[in-house]
Amino acid sequence: MAGVSSGSAQYIYACTRLRVRKSLLIPREDYLRMLNMSLPEITRFIGETAYRSEIDELGTSFSGINLVEVALSWNLAKEYQSILELVPGDLKHFTASYLRRWDIQNVVTVLRGKMQKMQPGKIKEVLVPAGRLDRVVLDRLVAEESPERVAEALKGERFYPVIERELPGALETGSFAHLENELYKSYYARLIADAKEGVKGGDIFLKYIQLEIDIRNIQNLFRLRAGHVHEDVRELMIGGGSFTVDELQRLSGLESRDEFIDALKRQVKMVPLLNALEEIRGKTALHGIEVALTRVQLDQMERMSKRYAFSILPILVYLEKKKYEVANLRALARGKEAGLPGERLQGYLVM
Amino acid sequence: MALRDIKPTRSELINVKRRIKLSERGYNILKMKRDGLILEFFKVLQQAKDSRGALLERYEHAMEMIALAETVEGAIGVKAAAFSAAESPAISLKSKNIMGVVVPEIQASSVRKGVLDRGYGMLGTSAVIDETAEAFEDLLEAIIEAAEIETTMKRLLDEIESTKRRVNALEFKVIPELSEARDFIKMRLDEMEREELFRLKKIKARSA
Repeated sequence: MAGVSSGSAQYIYACTRLRVRKSLLIPREDYLRMLNMSLPEITRFIGETAYRSEIDELGTSFSGINLVEVALSWNLAKEYQSILELVPGDLKHFTASYLRRWDIQNVVTVLRGKMQKMQPGKIKEVLVPAGRLDRVVLDRLVAEESPERVAEALKGERFYPVIERELPGALETGSFAHLENELYKSYYARLIADAKEGVKGGDIFLKYIQLEIDIRNIQNLFRLRAGHVHEDVRELMIGGGSFTVDELQRLSGLESRDEFIDALKRQVKMVPLLNALEEIRGKTALHGIEVALTRVQLDQMERMSKRYAFSILPILVYLEKKKYEVANLRALARGKEAGLPGERLQGYLVM
Repeated sequence: MALRDIKPTRSELINVKRRIKLSERGYNILKMKRDGLILEFFKVLQQAKDSRGALLERYEHAMEMIALAETVEGAIGVKAAAFSAAESPAISLKSKNIMGVVVPEIQASSVRKGVLDRGYGMLGTSAVIDETAEAFEDLLEAIIEAAEIETTMKRLLDEIESTKRRVNALEFKVIPELSEARDFIKMRLDEMEREELFRLKKIKARSA
C-alpha cells in the first residue's frame, strides 16, 4: 500500500537516478536524423545505443526488422524491471501499480491464446514482461492448460477479483473485450485510490492520472464516433476523470463533429488540450487525433515533473518517455521497412 | 461414319434425312446458346474487371494499414490484437442458373463487424487497430465478391468452349458426313434403279 513517504532521501535518490536515465534517452534531433536513414543504418544506430546488449544477444535468433522489434521490447521490459528494483519503499509499490497495465496486457493475451488453443511459443512471442509479472511468472501462466487454470494461477494478484468475476462471461461469449475493459477500469480506479492514499506528489499525480483518463476517454469517443456506435457507451468510459461517465455519454450522442469538439472545449480548462482539440478539428485520420492528444499528455506530464522535482512524477515521466522511445524506434524501423515517406513517418512519432 | 458401312436403302435414306434435320436444328439452337453465353460472359467480364479493380485497391489499402499498424503498435501489438478474433467469418454456398450453367452464389456472414464486436477491448488498443481491422474486413468482402464473379466467369468460359466445340462438330463433321451419306444412298439407289431398269430391258429383249 502506498503510504506516506518514509523520508525525502529516497525520492531524491530515485528521482536523480531516473533524471540521469532520462537524459540518456534518444533526443529529438536523432529521430529527425533517423528519418533520413535506411533500415540497416537505423539498426546499426540502435545497436550503438542502450539497446546494444539486446541486439547482440538476439542477433543469432532474429534478423532485420524482427531483431529490432524484439530487442526493443526486451530492453523495455529489462529497463522497467531494473527500475522496479531501483526505486525504494513506497515508490516501488507505486511504480509497480503504474506498470500493472503491462500485466493486464500480458494476462489478457495469455487468456486469449489459451482460449484459442494456441501454441505456448506463439503466445510467448507477444508478451512484453514489463510489468510486475516477470518472465518466469508469465512462462508459468503460458504453460497452464486452460483459461480457467490461468485465472487460478493469478489468485492473490490485485486484479484477480475482476478476472474471477468476468471470466465465466468471457468464456461463454468467446470475447474478452469486456474483461479487458473492466481490468483497465479497475487499474485506473486503483491508481486513483493509491494517489489519494498520501504518497508524496499524490495529489499532483492524481491530476496527471485524471488528465490521462480524460485523454483516453476523448480518444475513445473519437473512435466510437468513427465506428458509428450510437449505443450506451458508459461501459466503455473510464471513471475518475474530469468528465463524469454520464457527461461522456451525452457527448457521444452529439451528431455533428464540430458540435462535439465545441462541447469538449467548453468543459476543458487546460490550454494545451484546448489547442490540441482545435488542431484536431482539421484532422480526419483517427491515429493523427490520438497522437495529437498523446503529445498533450506527455508535455503536461513533463511540465508537472519539473515543477515537482522530487515526487513520483519524474519516475513516471521516465517510464512514459522510455515507452515512447521504444515506440518511436519501432515506428521508424517498421515505417522504413514498409517504405513510408519520412514526412508521414514523422507524424507518427511522439517526440 | 464410313460410307462402306452404310446400307443404301430407302429406310436408311429416310433415317439419315431425319438425322440431318435434327442435327441442323441442334446446330441452330447451340449456335444461339453460344451467342447468348458470349453476351452473358461480356456482362460478367465487366463486373469481374470492376471487382478485380476494387480488390486490388482494397488489398493495397489493407497492406498500407497493416504496415501502419505495425509501425504504430509493433508486430507484437498487432498480433496480440489479432488473438482477439474469436468469430471467424462463415461462408455459405448456393447456386444459380445462367442459361443452363450452374454458377455459385456466395453468401458470407460476420465479415464486417462493429468496433465493439471485434473481440478486443477499447481501453487497451488504439484507433489504428480499428482502421486496420476495417481495411481487412473490406478486403475480405472484396475477395468473396471477386471469387463469386470470377468463378461464374470461369464456368461460363468452360461452357462457351464446350458449346463452341459442339457447334463446330455439328457444322464441320456431323452434318457434312450425314449429307455425304444421304448423297451416297441417293446415288446408290439411283444406280440400283438404273441397273434394275437395264436388267428388265435385257430380260424383255431375250424373251422377245
